[in-house]
Amino acid sequence: MFKKILIANRGEIAVRILRACRELGIQTVSVYSEVDRTSLHVRLADEAYLIGPAASRESYLRIDKLMDVAKKSGCDALHPGYGFLAENPALPRACADAGITFIGPSAEAMEAMGSKTAGKQLARRTGVPTVPGTSDPIENPDEAQALAQNMGYPVLLKAIAGGGGKGMRVVPNDPAFASAWRDAASEALNAFGDQRVFLEKYLVGPRHIEIQILADAHGRCVSLGERECSVQRRHQKVVEEAPSPVVTPELRRKMGDAAVRLGRAGGYVNAGTVEFLVDADLNYYFLEVNTRLQVEHPVTEQVTGLDLVKLQIAIAADHRLPFAWETITPRGHAMEVRLYAEDPDNNFFPSPGKIISCHVPTGPGIRLDEGVYEGWTVPMDYDPLLSKLIAWGNSREETIARLRRALDEYTITGIRTNVSLFRRILTEPEFLRGDIHTKWLDELLARPHPPAVPPRPGTEEAALIAAALWHSARSGATSSGSAESQAAPSRWKMEGRRQQMDHMP
Amino acid sequence: MKFEIQLTGAGDKRKHVVELERKGDVCSMALDGQAIDADAVQIAPNAISVMLAGQSFEIHISRSPDGTLNLQCGPHEFSAEIIDPRAWRGRKHGAVEVEGRQEIFAPMPGKVVRVLTAVGDIVEAGQGLLVVEAMKMQNEIRSPKSGKLERLLVKEGQNVNAGEVLAWVE
Repeated sequence: MFKKILIANRGEIAVRILRACRELGIQTVSVYSEVDRTSLHVRLADEAYLIGPAASRESYLRIDKLMDVAKKSGCDALHPGYGFLAENPALPRACADAGITFIGPSAEAMEAMGSKTAGKQLARRTGVPTVPGTSDPIENPDEAQALAQNMGYPVLLKAIAGGGGKGMRVVPNDPAFASAWRDAASEALNAFGDQRVFLEKYLVGPRHIEIQILADAHGRCVSLGERECSVQRRHQKVVEEAPSPVVTPELRRKMGDAAVRLGRAGGYVNAGTVEFLVDADLNYYFLEVNTRLQVEHPVTEQVTGLDLVKLQIAIAADHRLPFAWETITPRGHAMEVRLYAEDPDNNFFPSPGKIISCHVPTGPGIRLDEGVYEGWTVPMDYDPLLSKLIAWGNSREETIARLRRALDEYTITGIRTNVSLFRRILTEPEFLRGDIHTKWLDELLARPHPPAVPPRPGTEEAALIAAALWHSARSGATSSGSAESQAAPSRWKMEGRRQQMDHMP
Repeated sequence: MKFEIQLTGAGDKRKHVVELERKGDVCSMALDGQAIDADAVQIAPNAISVMLAGQSFEIHISRSPDGTLNLQCGPHEFSAEIIDPRAWRGRKHGAVEVEGRQEIFAPMPGKVVRVLTAVGDIVEAGQGLLVVEAMKMQNEIRSPKSGKLERLLVKEGQNVNAGEVLAWVE
């Protein structure tokens, strides 16, 4: 096993990896930029080194600086986390040159599977379904129409030179084909000077469902089941769950087999994710492979009882996967929401700043993977992900109830967060029925806001009293000099002190 | 002690009067002229637990950059503007002057580009204390009262957050 691991990341994922290392008795080395000196991943690490200014181009993305730190501190392995350099084959190559083990797939596997086109070719070769269509242009409209009939409507016509929706037509049925073809071709000619069009099956309201795979260096590749990530805002996942509300055991087995086949064919080793689109008839189509740990890995951990980061480390240390495929079936239900420092009332604008207070939820079935703390200033230079709140329970209903309860306990002041977005999602009847697709959230947000649930009687009064007391405590100094020299001790302060005494062991 | 509080909640904006009376150990409260039986305990620097006829509430408080208070009670959020009668001297006569020690807040996140005064300086109301640059705009932060610059909590070149205390004027 490794002695010391360099964590080439920041934020909640760096903290997540650090914790796994600590549990395994492995020393940890963090790196940080100038604005991250007080970040949690620096505070918790055994060693930490400054690698440059705030801009990630000059710090977290500098392979040379990471290698310097790894050598100087005597690391024998490196974990890239997600984002930053996690899917850049140059990092595993640099690690290999420096004699450091990269915790992730080989550079070759990244290249063979990571890019959309390479992944699609591999999928076709291994018989994994991709969205049906022609990758080459079709000259003859009759030939195209025959293909469309074969494929089944609706279909999508796309200009070869396309972009921005120009030269794109959804064809709902056969009679509409001829005119749609003419429109798409002439629009493409006008917009791009190229009238060539190709054909693809149009998926109505597809779901995003992905399979987590794990592969060791000894030829075993297994599926850990699916995650449903259909709730997305502008292609960015915001709620993830496992298992999917629509996946049957049979579909899980089929998709799992397809993902494993793909992993084997690509010579994949370590943790990876094969993403699929699933249509209303539960046909699945390959989308892409993520050659790294995913943000949403905790939901799989909660329903399988496995620690994916520890398994990644074990695989990188050449261990064999300690289980057979048959033993992994999801237990219960898990759901994750991504808390961002952004203002849902103001077009999801980023909201960096100082966290004045932070009260985090605990209790049964709640897990919080976070990279922030009270008093810390969220820098404006990076992704605004603050934390991931994960709930699990025996059923989807219980899990959602726990998540709602935990969100009500979660109070962050000083910065704006998107907590209210999740309160809304988690009460929408469509979401509760599991009736979701990748455009669902964007459509929901375009609809008028439902009237807010009125606060229970007394809330306003309580707020007013609190405001007056808070204000009088702050400005209590105005008449008598300073708070300390007040003649009569404040009853509130006395009460606070008494409570603290009660908590003394 | 009497406060006028403008409370803004879910689409609703109303002015209320809260009275706090402290007699030795006992504190009585009134809201809009009605005595109320409330028990309030500070449970954290920015959180107050309020019991109203057996109903339990927890309010988390922070100051917004514009000087109003942000109040969070579970999923509900309010903003409150407080008009403190003690803070204004001779208000009825039109002469407006803030009294007591005043904390000077940064109105927006930015960078302190110039400090115009030093600790111990006597300053006039409206006199510039320091300059904060944000989004390429220079903003002079002025003293709300005449008095002495008691503390200066920032230095030139320092980045500050919205609502961060910059200085005290006593």
